[in-house]
Parts: sequence; C-alpha cells; structure tokens
Amino acid sequence: MLRLFARLILRPMKSEPVRALLTAFAVALGVAVVLAIDLAGEAAAGSFRSSVETLTGDADLEVTAVGGIPEAVYGQLATLPFAFRLKARLEDYATLSGAGPDKGSVLPLIGIDVVADALELGITNEAGPVPDKDSVWVSEGLGLKPGANIELQIQDRPGTYRVGGVFKQKGQIIVADIGLAQRLVRRPGRLDRILVWVPPVRSVDEWQQQLQQEMPAGVTVALQGARTQENRRMLEAFRWNLRVLSYIALVVGAFLIYNTISVSVVRRRSEIGILRALGATRGAILAAFLGEAAVFGVVGGAVGLLLGRVMAEGAVQLLGATVESLYVSSRPAAIEINAVSALLAFTIGISISVLSAWSPAREAAGVPPTEAMARGRSDYLARVHQGRDLLLAAGLAALAFFASQQPPFAGKPFGGYAAALLLIGAGAMAIPAMVDGINRVSSRLLLRLGGIEAMLASRSLSASLRRTSVLVGALATAIAMMVSVGIMVGSFRQTVLIWMDNQLKADIYLRPAGTASADRFPTFDAALADRIAVLPEVRAVDRFRAYPISYNGLPATLAGGETQVIELGGGAQFVSGDRASIMQRLPTCQCVIISEPFANKHRLSTGDSVTLPFGRFEILGVYYDYANERGYIIMDRRMLLKYLPDPAPSNLAVWVKPGVDLDQAKLAVERAAQGSSVAVFANRSLRVEAIKIFDRTFAITYALEAVAIIVAVMGIAGALLALVIDRKRELGLLRFLGATTSQVRKLILCEAGLLGLLANVAGFLLGLALSLILVFVINKQSFGWTIQFHWPVAVLTGALSLVYAATIVAGLYPARIATRLNPIEVVHEE
Amino acid sequence: MIERIPSRQTRSRQVSRRQLLALLPVTAAGAEVKAPAWRKALPGYRYQFPRDHFSHPEFQTEWWYYTGNVTTPQGRPFGFELTFFRQGIDPVPSQAVWSVDQVYLAHLALSDIERQRFYHYERLNRSGPGLAGIDPERQRIWNGNWQIQWHNGDQHLAAVAPEFNLKLALHSDKPPVIHGKDGISQKSPGEGRASHYVSFTRLLASGELELAGQKLKLAGTAWMDHEIFTNHLGDQLSGWDWLSLQLANGTELMVYRLRRKDGSIEPLSHGTFIDTSGRARGLTLEEFSFTPSGRTWNRYPLEWRVKVPSLGIDLEVSTPMENQQLVSTNRFSPSYWEGAVRVKGQPGTGVGYLEMTGYDTPLNI
Amino acid sequence: MDTTLIRFERVSKDYLADGEPVHALRELSLDVAPGQFVALMGRSGCGKSTLLNMAGAMDLPSGGRVLLDGQDTSQLDDAGLTRLRREKVGFVFQSFQLLSNLSVAENVELPLLLSGGVNARERAREALGWVELSGYETRLPHQISGGQMQRVAIARALVHAPKLLLADEPIGNLDTNTGDLILKLLRRIVTERGTTILMATHSPESVVVCDQIVRLRDGRIEAVEARQAR
Repeated sequence: MLRLFARLILRPMKSEPVRALLTAFAVALGVAVVLAIDLAGEAAAGSFRSSVETLTGDADLEVTAVGGIPEAVYGQLATLPFAFRLKARLEDYATLSGAGPDKGSVLPLIGIDVVADALELGITNEAGPVPDKDSVWVSEGLGLKPGANIELQIQDRPGTYRVGGVFKQKGQIIVADIGLAQRLVRRPGRLDRILVWVPPVRSVDEWQQQLQQEMPAGVTVALQGARTQENRRMLEAFRWNLRVLSYIALVVGAFLIYNTISVSVVRRRSEIGILRALGATRGAILAAFLGEAAVFGVVGGAVGLLLGRVMAEGAVQLLGATVESLYVSSRPAAIEINAVSALLAFTIGISISVLSAWSPAREAAGVPPTEAMARGRSDYLARVHQGRDLLLAAGLAALAFFASQQPPFAGKPFGGYAAALLLIGAGAMAIPAMVDGINRVSSRLLLRLGGIEAMLASRSLSASLRRTSVLVGALATAIAMMVSVGIMVGSFRQTVLIWMDNQLKADIYLRPAGTASADRFPTFDAALADRIAVLPEVRAVDRFRAYPISYNGLPATLAGGETQVIELGGGAQFVSGDRASIMQRLPTCQCVIISEPFANKHRLSTGDSVTLPFGRFEILGVYYDYANERGYIIMDRRMLLKYLPDPAPSNLAVWVKPGVDLDQAKLAVERAAQGSSVAVFANRSLRVEAIKIFDRTFAITYALEAVAIIVAVMGIAGALLALVIDRKRELGLLRFLGATTSQVRKLILCEAGLLGLLANVAGFLLGLALSLILVFVINKQSFGWTIQFHWPVAVLTGALSLVYAATIVAGLYPARIATRLNPIEVVHEE
Repeated sequence: MIERIPSRQTRSRQVSRRQLLALLPVTAAGAEVKAPAWRKALPGYRYQFPRDHFSHPEFQTEWWYYTGNVTTPQGRPFGFELTFFRQGIDPVPSQAVWSVDQVYLAHLALSDIERQRFYHYERLNRSGPGLAGIDPERQRIWNGNWQIQWHNGDQHLAAVAPEFNLKLALHSDKPPVIHGKDGISQKSPGEGRASHYVSFTRLLASGELELAGQKLKLAGTAWMDHEIFTNHLGDQLSGWDWLSLQLANGTELMVYRLRRKDGSIEPLSHGTFIDTSGRARGLTLEEFSFTPSGRTWNRYPLEWRVKVPSLGIDLEVSTPMENQQLVSTNRFSPSYWEGAVRVKGQPGTGVGYLEMTGYDTPLNI
Repeated sequence: MDTTLIRFERVSKDYLADGEPVHALRELSLDVAPGQFVALMGRSGCGKSTLLNMAGAMDLPSGGRVLLDGQDTSQLDDAGLTRLRREKVGFVFQSFQLLSNLSVAENVELPLLLSGGVNARERAREALGWVELSGYETRLPHQISGGQMQRVAIARALVHAPKLLLADEPIGNLDTNTGDLILKLLRRIVTERGTTILMATHSPESVVVCDQIVRLRDGRIEAVEARQAR
C-alpha cells in the first residue's frame, strides 16, 4: 500500500515540484487566512477584559449604572453586614499629549480608591498609601519614574500631571485616586463600577439577586464578565461574517485541490488500469489519491499555521481599528497560538483537501483493470453531462433564492450564508456549459481578433473542459467574492454619503480631541457650549450627550440631543413614521427614537417601548443610522437631563447665521474653545473624516479578497503548467508546422487570458447575485443596516482589470516552460 | 498643599501599633510647620460625655479600642479585639467627599482559644461616601461594616469578617475612667507629649458569634480605651507593653510601660487601679512593677509578673494561646502581639488583654 | 539556378543520451535535387530521423552544414529557421499528429494561419481536394480513418506549397493497402507538383515510388541507389 502510494503519488509529485508546491501553498494560504481571522478575532474580542480587571483579578459581581453609580452606593455597600470585598472604579481614557513616540495614543485612566486599595495593589507614592493631590500613578509600561511629569489630555482638557508612583503592570495604564479622577473626567459624585467579591456561603447568583434588591433604581448588579460577554455577543455577527469571508479563500483552495487530483487521475488512468490489473483494490487506489490530497492538506496545514500566525498580526491591527470605530474601545490582546489552533489548521487543511479530492479519487478507483484510455474521456463525460449540470445549477439557484428569504436564526443570517454557498455551487455547475458555449461561439471570432493562437487556446480549453471549468470556477468564486463585497461596500459607502448629506446639516462640529471610538464619549465643559451658543456668528447649537449602556444584554448608546435645533435642517431620516410629527412630539413626551441597527437587534419598531433603568419610553420612530453598530436610543436633551443631570455635552453641532463667513465662524468657535482641547470640524472635513473611518473599517475585507484572488491566480499558474506538460507534443508539433516560440508563448498567454476572461464574466455574474445576498440578506440580518444598491463602477472596473492582468501574469511561467520545450523530443515517435 | 515628606524619625524604627498612624505621610512634624497646627493634649481638659466618646478632629490621632474575654455557655473561651483609629492628615477640614484630610484604620482580631486559631484583619479607609467615620449625632463609630453603635448608653459592637461575624452588646456598670492627672496622661517629658485617655474598664459583653457556620452565644467582659492626642510620644521609645486586667473580685487594673531605645523604662510609665465602686487610682512607676517573668514566643514575653505592693497585688500573667500576633500584610503597618491573658495570684484570678509592640523586626520603609 | 534543393556537407550530429555520447550522423554528405523522391533507409537509430529534422531546419548540425535551398541553416536564428520552415518545408509523421480538437480543415490551414497567410480556408480546401478529401472539412480527426488522417496530414504539409516535404515513416501506422495509397499520393505530389520528398522508411515495398534510395548505417551513408520510379 505504501509502495503503491509512493509509486502512484509521490514520484509524480516529485517530478513536478512547482505544481505540487503551488497546490500546497494554495491550501496553506486558505488555511492561513481562516486561522488568522480566527486568531485575530479572538485577540480583538478578548481584549475587553479591561485593564482594570487585570489590575484586580476577577470579581464575582459588578455594580454599574447608566451615567455612573451615585457614590453613596459604595458607602452603602461597604457597610452592609456581609463579608464582601469591594473595589470602586472610575473608568475613562486619557490621551498622551506630550511629545514622544506614543503621542496621541489613548490609555485607560482608572480611578481607584487609593486609600482602600493601595496596600493590596502595591501602588504607593514615596511616603505611603495616601494620594498626593494632582499626581497620578502609572504602569511600568510607560517607562516613567516617580516624580516625572506626564502630559495628558483628559476629556477636553490638556494638563501636566506628576507621576506620584509606578506600579507593576504590563501595558500602559494611568491610575488616579477616585477624587482626582472624578474631577478629571468630570463625573463628580459618580463611580463607573464597583467590583464585588462575595463570600461563598451563597451562590454568586443569589448574591446578585440579593444585592440588586438593595440597590437604588437605575443601579444594576451583574455577574462580572457580563460586560465582556455582552461585547463578545455584540461582536459575534461581525466575527461570523469575517469568518465566513475568510472561508472563501479555502473554497477557492478546494477547487484547486480538486483540479490537481483530477489531473493526477486523468494522467494516470492507464497506470491505474495496470495497477488494478496487477491486483490493487479499488480501496487502495481511492486511498492513494485521497492520500495525495492529505499530503497537500498536511503540508498546507503546517505552512498555513505559520503563515496564519504571521497574518494574524496584521489582521489584528485592521480588526482592532474596525472594532474600535464600530463597536467598542478595545486594546488587542496578544495573539495566542495553541494546540487548538494547530489542530484547527491541520483539520481544515486535511479535511478540505480530502473532501475536494473525493470525487476524482473515486473516479480513479472506478478505473477498470482493462482500461488504458487516453485523455479526453472524462472531458467527454463533462460535456455529456452539461445538460444535467445546468439543471442542477438551476435547482441550486432556486434553493439559494429560497434560503435567502429565510429570517435570521439566533441572530445570524444562516439563510444568507447558505444562499451564498448554494449560489457558488450553482455557479460551479453552470460554468462548464458556459465555458463550452462561449468557446464554441467565439472560436472563429477569436481567430479574427487574437489570431490563430487565440483560436488554438480556446480550442484547447474547450478540449479539457473539465479542468478548465474547475479553474474558471475557482477564479470566478474569488472574483465573485471580490465583486460582491465590492458592490456591498460601494453601496454601503454611497448610502452613508447620502445619509451624511441628510444627517450632517450643521456647519461646524465640536468634540473633545482624540481618537474616536464607538463606546467612548468624552465630554467637554458645558460652559464652553454656552459660550459658543452666544457667539454673534452662531445661530444655534445642538448639545449632544451620549452614554454607553447595556440594553437587554447587549451594549448600546443612550443619547440626548436638542430636538428643536436639529429641526433647523435635515436631521434624522426615518425608516417609518412621519418625521414632522415625531420631531414635534419628541421634546414633550416620555419618548425616544431608535436607530435602525438597534431596532433590528432588539426587534423593536415604532409604537413599542424601551425600558431604561429609569423608566419606560415609547418609541416614536426608527431612524436610519450608519454611525456605528451598537445602536442608539435618542431622547430629547431636556428629557435626558431629567434623569442624568450632567450637562457636559460630548458633541456639539453649530449652525452659523446666514450670511456669516464659515471660516470666520469656525475661527470664532475655535477662539471660544481656547484652553480646552477640542476638535473643531467644518461640516466638510467631518464628512471626510467619517468616510476615512468607513474605509478603514473595510480594510480587512479587502485583505481577505486579495488573498482569495492570490490563491486563485496561483491555481491558474499551476493548472496552466499542467496543461503545458500534458500538451507538450501538440506544442512541439506547432513548431514543426511553422510556429515561432513567441507564437507558442502567445498561445499559453491566450489560454491564461481566456481563463481570466471566462472567470471574470462568470465571477461578475455570480458576484452580482452574491452582492444582493450580502446587501439585502446577510448585512441586513447581521447588522441591521438598510443599504441602497449602488454600482461602484470605478472600483469594479479597476479590480476586475487587475485580476485579469494577474491571470495573464500567472501564464508567464507556464508560457516560458512551453517555449523551452524541445519540439524534436516531444514529438518524437516511439 | 501639604508637604508629604515624612520626618526622619517616623521612617525609622519606632514600631508601636499606636504609632502606626504616624507613619502615614502627613506627620505631626510636617504638619507643625504649617498653620493651623493640631491641638495638643494639655492639662486642664474638661471631659464631657457622651460628646467625648466621639471624635476630636482637632487632634491628630484618636483611637477606640475594644478588647475582651468571652465564653460560650459551654465555656468555650474566645478573645476579641476591635480597634478604630482616626488619623488626621490635614488639620484644615475639607468638604470634598474623597478628601484625605482624615484616614481611618481599623483592626479586628478573634482568638479561638480552644482551637488555637487566631484571626485578624486590617482595613484602611477615608470617610469617602460613608465608608468610615465617627458620627456623634448618630453615636456611631465605623469603618466599613465594623462598627460601634451607641444606644441607650450601651455600645453595640458588630464586625463582619470572611470567617466570622461578631455581634456584642457592651454594657458598663462603672462610669468611664479618666487616666492620668488633670485630664491628661503624660507619656514623655514635655508639653503636649500626652494624651486624653478614657476607659470603660468593665463592660459586660453578651452577644453572638457566627463562626464556621455555627452560631455561638457569648458572654464575658470587655475593656474599652479611648485615647486622643497629637504626637504624644517622644523620639526615644522603641515600643511598649500594656496590660488590662479584670479581676474576679470586681476590680480592674491597667498598667503600661514604655520601653526606651536604651533599654530603660520611661519613668512616666503609668497604671490605674479601679475599685469595685469604679473609683480610679493612678499608679506611678514607683508604685507598681510590670516585668517579663519567663517564656517568650518570637521574642514576645508571654509570661509577666505584676505587683502593686500598696494594693496587695501580686499576679502572674500568662496566655492560653501563644500566637495572637497581628501580622502586618503590608509594608506600612507593623506587626504586634495583642491577646487574651489569664492571671492568678493576689488577690485572686482574672482575665485581661496584653499588648506588646516593638518586638517585631524594625520597620523600614 | 542551383540544381540542389538540399545539401548536407560533412554533417555530423552528436548528442548526449543518458550521459553517453551518441554520434547520430558522422560527416555525412548528401545532395538532393529538386523534384526528387528520396527514400532514407536503414535500421532504427541509423540517423534517418536526425537527417530529416536537419533537412527541415528543426535541428542544427554539430559539425558541417546543411543548405536548404541555398540557405545555410546554421547561419539562421530561431525566427529565420521558422521562416525557412514556413516557406519551404512540410512535415508528415508516422502517427499523423493531427490536433484532435481542430477540424480537418482547421488542421490543414494551421501552417498558413501560423505564418499569417491569406485565404487560408480556401487554400486548405484546395489542398484537401488534392488529397481527395473534399467534403471532410468539418470532421474531427477521431471521426475519420487512419489513411484519411494521413491524407489530412499530407494536405497540411502541402497547404503552403513547400518545396520540400519530409515524411517520417508515413505508412508505419497503416495497413498495406492504405499504405500503398498514401505512397501513390506522395508519388503524385512529386510528379505533379514538383515537390521534393525526403522519406524515412524501413519498408522495402515503399521504395518502389522513389527516385533514389539512400541507405544509412551508423550515421553514415552506406549506399545511394538511383532507381526508376514507378
């Protein structure tokens, strides 16, 4: 058996190392991408365990409240007759504002009860566990000595702080005493979290229930880690979609394995026949070819594991940026590669290889002992079955349509995924007929357009139809993915642009300087907003305040805006409901409006109500929003202030009086804001920034597409190489018949070009269909955004041309091999 | 802002529990430079109760000390200690919730003599949003969920620890005893090197202990010390030994000796005898002797001899449990021994509490 | 005008096969006049195929020179050799070597298309007519018989009207009757079109149509016999 394997599989593999390597590498790339996305996703999602938790270890419960816990709750908890251990926390961020390489990086700023905790944490100043006024403690990671100064921007205020002490902690964290922290982040009288360790005399759940009863309204007691869980849950759809996207490269790889093994089988039919005649069983033959696939799987898995680890580094950066702008502040954790990921890599590599080799290996096992057939028979079979395959394709397409109509399951668009997969299957089935049909029709046309070489190329591809179809299928799948994601992103982008046109009607926007994040709402002084409001250039301001909250186990954003001011122009566009009456009622009733993603996530619509810690609110309308995926609950500012009386805004929109020069107005606003570190944007530059963030968000998908395309192009190169080797006699003959070497080269390049063209056509069509699923099913069900369909013409044209060029480049090496063949040798008659 | 460089001597080897608070960053020495200064314990102080059972924030340091020997109805003996410290950091009081003008330290210890297990805990807080403090209005002294609540002249002690939950009602049959002369207890030569020192010398304790899932009824006697001062000790002390005894004949005795670095005993070391009717008599060092008499444990002398010849007192002091050391878990507070003791001799038997400081490895910040 | 279409001047051909030097031709000289039908005979490995390849400018001598219609092949680059081949040489092989995925007509017009010739289809039809296969244009190679395939191959070799036709065992894969028909066809080509044929063969029957027999042995000419072709 082993010898059979060596003879039938290993030796031929050795004689064509380039092709074998290409195949293995294609598998490796597929595995690597899947692994990288998995590792990077875990690293990006795993990092919600905030620095605070690493600072104190795991508590059992945590107490939180929207807008902060009244600090008296801490005193109340401390005096309850239970043996709790408590840690009070204020959690915010500080931006390094001094000179230095890390300038601009955002660090956690943790307020702790230094007096109560310092002994345990090992945080001390020079003298003892009592905080100095205005001095902060820093983690070792910042590389500062006690007594040094550190420049930080906190909320909108830049300042210089003395380093009172240094504590042992990896990473970069700033710690301040609670009293100081409350002043710095402008949350007097509030705490963000109280961590509670409970004694084991009762279960944690029982404690949670008991404590919840002791708490005043609006204060929530939850199991610790609930927030991390919530974040993970929120990210789940995003990670799922990425994961699915990463599998595309693997699917492309599967096509290539199928092709490689098919070529092996077709080439060695007579050899198999002989072996069968000599007593090899069907099982042995099957095993030998599956073994060949497994070899690719093992090598691909091993290389993919290493490659995946490397790619994960890059992916984490991209993912981190996306998570940050769409979901939640996160600091990527270390990428952890372990036995599980290694197992995953090999499992994926081997199973995808063996699965895709199954059909050709079975064909090999079916070769009767008497057979010594020439190449062409199975190609003939492919032609014969075209009708049946087309029927199958139609069936799959119908199933795809059915699947796409299904509602999400467990919040995930499984119907959409199935539809996409079925569509790819339908494409694979339809491609042989398409290739054959196009070739038949176009052969004379090609002769006229591309000369005899083009015609010969077309004929040759037609002749090895099965092989050609698989290649076209592989490349088409990759292209389809590119096209569909391209259309989806393009549509999304256009939708967002139009939305911004409607939404961003103010002339000037203000917010604390620093990197924006979906769950970080730094505030600035309310007095600043008031100062700006009375500037002679200013017509009106909208003070917007947002709070990160948890709603039904998922993170969300609660915010308030000045309804009347927004009404000055534009503002929210509603999915349903009459805009005018909504905006009229909003300031006066116990009401909110919610964003589309929020509505989708929680299955809410106009007329339902949301229950917040301080009351129930009727939903007046659902508005379109593309700012982030957390989802918004918005009420009128006065209503919000009633419950959360902190007047500091997190954003300010400024409308300028008609006739006032915009630059002059911006200057006036900036002057008014002097001394506080806020970013002032003119309307236009805010849009530019928003689109920049949008583009950054999709960087990872572009990277995934690129890998799938690379895999496919590598497949093309390998397959053309096989084609050259299988047709060397023919190529030699052409030389006898008066062909120049450049004509032979042109022939091979024509084949590459034709493959590329066919794949582009098929991929475009398939991609178009997939894009509909992406835009209207997967995206809608995963994220809840309504996207208008738009053609990103320039992007698509560019991308398709690029892929086309790449396939031709893939033909260069096989073409070189073809021109180097010695015609006398290859035509030599035995 | 206040300069927070500790004075040299506080950094050095003084290791009395009762000096612990002086190690906190604002020292008396530092504070004295700034106006206004802390008030000192000076002769002529007029006590007024119940006001003087509570806080005196104009003094830098203040403590309330509860110790006692209690037993279950079956006779299972326990010792306990609950101490509240208040340490002034800034003599100018601040209105800010999180200000650290005062910090509050507390110690809790339980001696399970039968099982020879010693539990002890430490807790440091600022008053913050109700974390710790002394509230004369509500007659409450607390640090987290350790507290003394006065009610109808009784003191209700409650303390929660991971291993146990102690609740005792303390009733005094005798009036408070004011130690020393002219309202002050002089500790070292010099003006202000003194404290205002008040005790409840015989508190009848009854209550409940929850330990290891068991609820135990307790009864016994307790002692309470309340001392108020600003930097009352001199630089020459290396530690002290303090003993409170409740004798079976209904009298009480308190003696302490201040040990100097040169090995001698501070001549101002003092004692107080309380007769059955609650009358107190001050004892100078000439009038009593209080000396180690044998066994030691980790340098702590565990056996003592107390003699007050003028009162016919000659007692042998010993402890039923060696390890009653409150071991510091951090580098700021020192370790010390404080535990239940038994006495026998003239005029009979008794129980008490012994405190020994300065035997531990010298503190070094 | 030169009376020699192809001239071998002391041509040697050495190459390595499995590391061993092989002397395929040893200082062989031969002149073939236009319009001659020359048979090359000898055992396998005597150098027949090498000689044909060199005559067709597919191979170059290691020593000496080959003049094809006066052109020294060693003097030409790859493009020049291809041009020479396109203009002057047609090849016929033992196993026909038709492109299986091209129709009969497409196979025939291939040399014209490769050289960018005009009226390819028309001339292919003409050539097919010549080999009496009119009406077979759209057939695929696997749809016709062996003899027909060889005739298609001959038509392909003739379609660009070469002066020289090189045939390597053209009837080796055919039965006797069919082989005879092919030989007669070849003879007709020489007689009627004046094309020169150099044919490697080892069947004695096939020499009856030839004007000259060149017997090769170990890379040398053993004998040259002129005969009256029938």
